[in-house]
Amino acid sequence: MFHSRTFLHLAVAALFLALSIIAAVAQDADIMDPATFGLDADKPYDGTELQFLICCSTAPQFASLAAKTNSEFTAMTGISATWGDLPFGSFQEQLYLEATNPNTEFDLVAWVDAWGTNIYDFLYPLNDFIADAGIDWADYSPAYQGASSGNSDTIYGLPFRGHPQMLFYRADVFESLGLDVPQTWQDVSAAGEAIAASGMDISPIAMYYGLNVDQNLFNWYSHLWGAGTDIFDENWTPAFNSELGIQATEQYMSYLRDGYTAESAVAWNEQEANQELVQGRAAMFVGWWWMASRMTNSDLPEVADNAGFAPAPGWEGGHTASYGYLWPIGVLDQSDSREAALEYLKWLTHPITERRVVLDADDPALDTNVAVRLSVLADEEVNEVHNGLQGTASAILASARTIPLIPEYTEIIPILAESINEIATNPNADIQSVLDIAAEDVRFVMQAAGYYD
Amino acid sequence: MRKKRWVPWILIAPALLIIVLTTIYPLFAALFFSFHKYSLRRPPQWAIQLGSQAGDPLIAIDWSLLSFDNYALAFSDARFINSLQVTFWFTVISVALSVIIGLFIAVVVQKGGALHTFTKVLLIFPFAVSPALKGFSWRFMLNEEYGIYDLLIDNAIVRPLNGLIALVNGLPFFDIAAIRESIVWLGDPFWVLFMLAMSEVWGWAPLIALMFVGALGSIDTQIFEAARIDGASNFQIFWRVTLPMLRPVILIVTMLKTIFSLKMFDQVVTMTGGGPVRATQTINFYIHQVGFVRSLDIGYASAMSYILVVVLTALAILYVSLVLNRR
Repeated sequence: MFHSRTFLHLAVAALFLALSIIAAVAQDADIMDPATFGLDADKPYDGTELQFLICCSTAPQFASLAAKTNSEFTAMTGISATWGDLPFGSFQEQLYLEATNPNTEFDLVAWVDAWGTNIYDFLYPLNDFIADAGIDWADYSPAYQGASSGNSDTIYGLPFRGHPQMLFYRADVFESLGLDVPQTWQDVSAAGEAIAASGMDISPIAMYYGLNVDQNLFNWYSHLWGAGTDIFDENWTPAFNSELGIQATEQYMSYLRDGYTAESAVAWNEQEANQELVQGRAAMFVGWWWMASRMTNSDLPEVADNAGFAPAPGWEGGHTASYGYLWPIGVLDQSDSREAALEYLKWLTHPITERRVVLDADDPALDTNVAVRLSVLADEEVNEVHNGLQGTASAILASARTIPLIPEYTEIIPILAESINEIATNPNADIQSVLDIAAEDVRFVMQAAGYYD
Repeated sequence: MRKKRWVPWILIAPALLIIVLTTIYPLFAALFFSFHKYSLRRPPQWAIQLGSQAGDPLIAIDWSLLSFDNYALAFSDARFINSLQVTFWFTVISVALSVIIGLFIAVVVQKGGALHTFTKVLLIFPFAVSPALKGFSWRFMLNEEYGIYDLLIDNAIVRPLNGLIALVNGLPFFDIAAIRESIVWLGDPFWVLFMLAMSEVWGWAPLIALMFVGALGSIDTQIFEAARIDGASNFQIFWRVTLPMLRPVILIVTMLKTIFSLKMFDQVVTMTGGGPVRATQTINFYIHQVGFVRSLDIGYASAMSYILVVVLTALAILYVSLVLNRR
């Protein structure tokens, strides 16, 4: 026979369990309710098959969304979506070919911000859709808003996957040397000097100056902006070879020339430099925040247990601005299933969907910290799961910037990337001369495009 | 019974149709584009109609816009000239090393026996690796931090040589290890081109070796025996008998490898990205950059492609005539 107290305990436990189940069911009911996402409950596009042109769909930042599409969105709307899985290396050309093809089979496309300017003419403007669907545009940072609209009044895409730049560091190395976490690039140099002088068997920082899809420009931008200059001035004249530009580039090259990064960094791309941190050979790395899970999931306990992150460094006594890199998502103008595609956008970019993806951290294949909405970045539970990473990202995005969003910039990027690579690979290169030649090339491109008429 | 002449045509029609659609049409389309200003960024009306298949694109074409501008631009474009130079040196290095190493391997493995047969089977594997994967693998292997090349060179060359130098008194100090450590394989314009060529040699030399093995097998052994009876050494037999008899095959193999080397693209993308600076920007890589990455200028990219097509056609004709003459 049960003791009355035991019975009471059991009753409370049963009630708690029942409430938990009800809450879980209610939550599931919410996420399976079309009204939650503003979707049409009558399934007017039932049976529509959308084609989504995107690369790397198995990467965690995309995989969770792709997986939830069938189980949740298709169940609610009857619309199915097939995600492309192109390698990043061939994605750019495929994007241009499909966007300009009047008979393309694709309905939706995602793109790297810099590439978007070449396909704006082939995208369906989303201003009316955003207003009608009640999408809170202010829930995106200014950098992401700019990257989705080409800094114009026409919105071509919704922020889909976005990446602020972060400083990743080995907390144990910094603690053992009594170093503060660098806030500026000059602090990075100071920390580099201390780590190098300590005799520790670790490279102070892993930089990437290699010529690989132009990744060697990412950190150069934040040096330029921090020093107070830019790629262009207000008249679209090259400004990166100005006195401030030279200072910024000298600082950017100092980690290599002072020996704080390995000589091989002249050929490294971002992934290879990140591997140096993940495999315990470097104490600092500045890169996109989605790489955080690589450090925390490192096989080396000394790396995984000492993963530190902070905003990308700024400039001593100057500005702090890093590149806010965005993948917007939009609908092709020539899509035959535009309305269904817009329905998909509502669900795909909804804060509830985004929040659930970020909280889905159990499976390493789906573990991602990537969110773009400010409300999700500020979410307490999300920050708890990811050790405050999103809060830091939110702070970085407040001052993040976009690169020049003009069609000609895709032509200019390789000129700049080659020049940076030339300065890195040739220790005797005169920075001013190399950048002056690059500026001439850039001016030629802009002249041909009619900017100086 | 009367022979039905149309039967062969019916039989090859499907293949012909595929060739027309996938080879002949793109070839003529690219020739047409090469004489026009055609950017993917702002496609001309005829290109849009061509894509939409609505209306007759030929009507939309303004034939007065036909010009040689793209061809003229190519020969004044420093980057294109650079790509010609890069491709030339890449071709010279990769062809020479592929043929020489292939010949060496063939001479070593030409004899019969289970081990030789097994080795010949193994030789086909490097050629079976996709060029893009080859590029990735080589990039990985050349990494200074964890790549296998430095490990091999250090253990097989640097340490023994340094030991030898230390043993020999009177030699000036010559630190090979320091020299090796100062080389960043993918960051040095000379070494990167050499290594790109080596990645190609790695795949091609074994295949060429197999071709040479076949050719060596067809030489009458009595010729070698006669030379030996006349007192010729192994080297003399190789130099004065084997090599002259292999000359036609060497020519054909050289021509074939040259054609493939001129088209180098995949490994550049995955291994070097064209760098450092422009040190490995081959013609095909630069054409791709112009057409699909930088200015999206299909007209100019097509013109540069046709310059390459002219060179390749000349080599192909030479190759075919060599093959036919041999028969």
